[in-house]
Amino acid sequence: MNAPENALAEWRAKSANQTRLAFGQALLEIGAREPRAVVVSADTQDLLGIRPYIERFPERFLEMGIAEQNAIGVASGLATTGLHPYVCAYAPFITARSMEQVRNDVAYANQRVVIGAAASGISLGVAGGTHHALEDLALMRSLPNMTIIVPADVNEAYQATLATLDIDGPVYLRLGGRVEEPPVGDPEAPFRLGKAAQLRPGNDVAVIACGALVDMALRASDLLKKEGIGVRVLNMHTIKPLDRDAILAAAAETCGIVTAEEHHLCGGLGGAVAELLAVERPTRMRMVGMPDTFAMVGPTVPLRAKYGMSAEAVVDACRALLAQRR
Amino acid sequence: MIDKTGTLVSRLEQQARQVRRNIWRAIRAGGGGHVGGSSSAADILAALYFHRMRIRPTEPDWPERDRFVLSKGHANAALGAVLAQAGFIDDAVLDQFYAFESPFGMHPDIKVAGVEMCTGALGHGLSVATGMALGARIQKMAFHTFVLIGDGELHEGSNWEAAMAAAHYKLANLTAIIDHNKICQSGRVNEVISVDPLADKWRAFGWEVREIDGHNMSDVVETLDALPLNSERPTAIIAHTVKGKGVSFAENTYLWHSNSVNDEIYAKALAELGLP
Repeated sequence: MNAPENALAEWRAKSANQTRLAFGQALLEIGAREPRAVVVSADTQDLLGIRPYIERFPERFLEMGIAEQNAIGVASGLATTGLHPYVCAYAPFITARSMEQVRNDVAYANQRVVIGAAASGISLGVAGGTHHALEDLALMRSLPNMTIIVPADVNEAYQATLATLDIDGPVYLRLGGRVEEPPVGDPEAPFRLGKAAQLRPGNDVAVIACGALVDMALRASDLLKKEGIGVRVLNMHTIKPLDRDAILAAAAETCGIVTAEEHHLCGGLGGAVAELLAVERPTRMRMVGMPDTFAMVGPTVPLRAKYGMSAEAVVDACRALLAQRR
Repeated sequence: MIDKTGTLVSRLEQQARQVRRNIWRAIRAGGGGHVGGSSSAADILAALYFHRMRIRPTEPDWPERDRFVLSKGHANAALGAVLAQAGFIDDAVLDQFYAFESPFGMHPDIKVAGVEMCTGALGHGLSVATGMALGARIQKMAFHTFVLIGDGELHEGSNWEAAMAAAHYKLANLTAIIDHNKICQSGRVNEVISVDPLADKWRAFGWEVREIDGHNMSDVVETLDALPLNSERPTAIIAHTVKGKGVSFAENTYLWHSNSVNDEIYAKALAELGLP
């Protein structure tokens, strides 16, 4: 590893707990380790914290301005020449606006393009519905060849970004906004692509969560543990390819599955788990996430709670499944 | 340079005639297709593939090769024709247009030797070509990137995002050729949505512009040989062309943007195109 360990530790110590910035910091290490890496920005230099990268690797940085469709097409073209582009962008714009470029130029052409998508979910709560990305996972999940990762904290975001060094194809990395994302797991635990991390054991009910909802799942598990209820918590950081074994084991060993995510209930992690279980092992489920509506304006944390994305909502979902236990 | 005797030009004209015959052959095999926009591009493609581009048909992934992106992917019959004539793909593939499991469908597939991007959804090629040209610059590679864009395709706004970026980065190693046949699917381009003044638009975006007769092979060759026209700017060649060029009943009508081709029509077309 070329990046100085102490520099990383120093950055972690002083940096806010925001996955978008961990991505930018990881690009510094990627730039040093991979001479083919090139960073493409859609006027998002501070959003993803890439100014240190730009300073160190100016010849491998391309600003494309506020033009997401072009940024994706350019990244695809770069990839065809053997470079490894990392696109830095806003999640709502780089997915919905550039969907055709992502589908054709990146996924269909199967090019090695990593999309770092910040400000996902309702992390830009006060910005309003135009700036929320609550359908991005549904869009990206529907694309063949796409790998989708949703880091839950800074450490995972950093490691997941490094993991893209070994992914020879398109990647969508879903990152947060300007909101604290508390650490959820052992920072020394290795990131294993496509393998869920079990953060709490338990055989009564299982919560499969990603992103900001992992922390809420942990709090729910800890609350119910006081009542003697064992809630298994799986951090499903890789949405695609899905860790089928971990899900099927959880279905077999508990009374039901709760999924939890900051995304519409349609098409995200809950949908992915339900699609698998409906075919392989029909299982009682509850889904925690954004209902079928556009969110109102507000700070992210109370907004999440209003729409049922909270530790309390996870607890309620677990209780509902336990009440149905045969 | 062009030889005074015109040997090069007459060879390319001959090859372009063969491209047109192959366009009709493929489209007849498929039962129909984009005759109009494939035929208008035939001379440009012949000049690129049989003269201007540095390519190795037996080594299609040669890293130093010049790149060609067919942004107007619906002209894939023309691309298939030049790829077959150049030796990238087997000639027999031209008889498998649209066939089950064929590598040769209505739009280009990157998995086919010599095809640089899967295009056809319009407004994608210029961005991808800009990325290729930037990739060449970053890696200090000498290849040139060409992209062929339809005039109706310029309705897609993403083209202008890319035009802005390519000029910003002063990509002299990038050439966009506009196949200006003036007709799109519903009628005349400028009646659907006007793209005029076309040359002024590209100039205003920071491109070096040259307008040529896209069927005058001397004109085409001379312009391609002169690239880059400006060492600080990407080049836009506005090639004035005729939709369906080469077959009288298919020329200059939106009805032949895409149309069915049976054996009888095919025989008439070949008779007009003349011997290979």
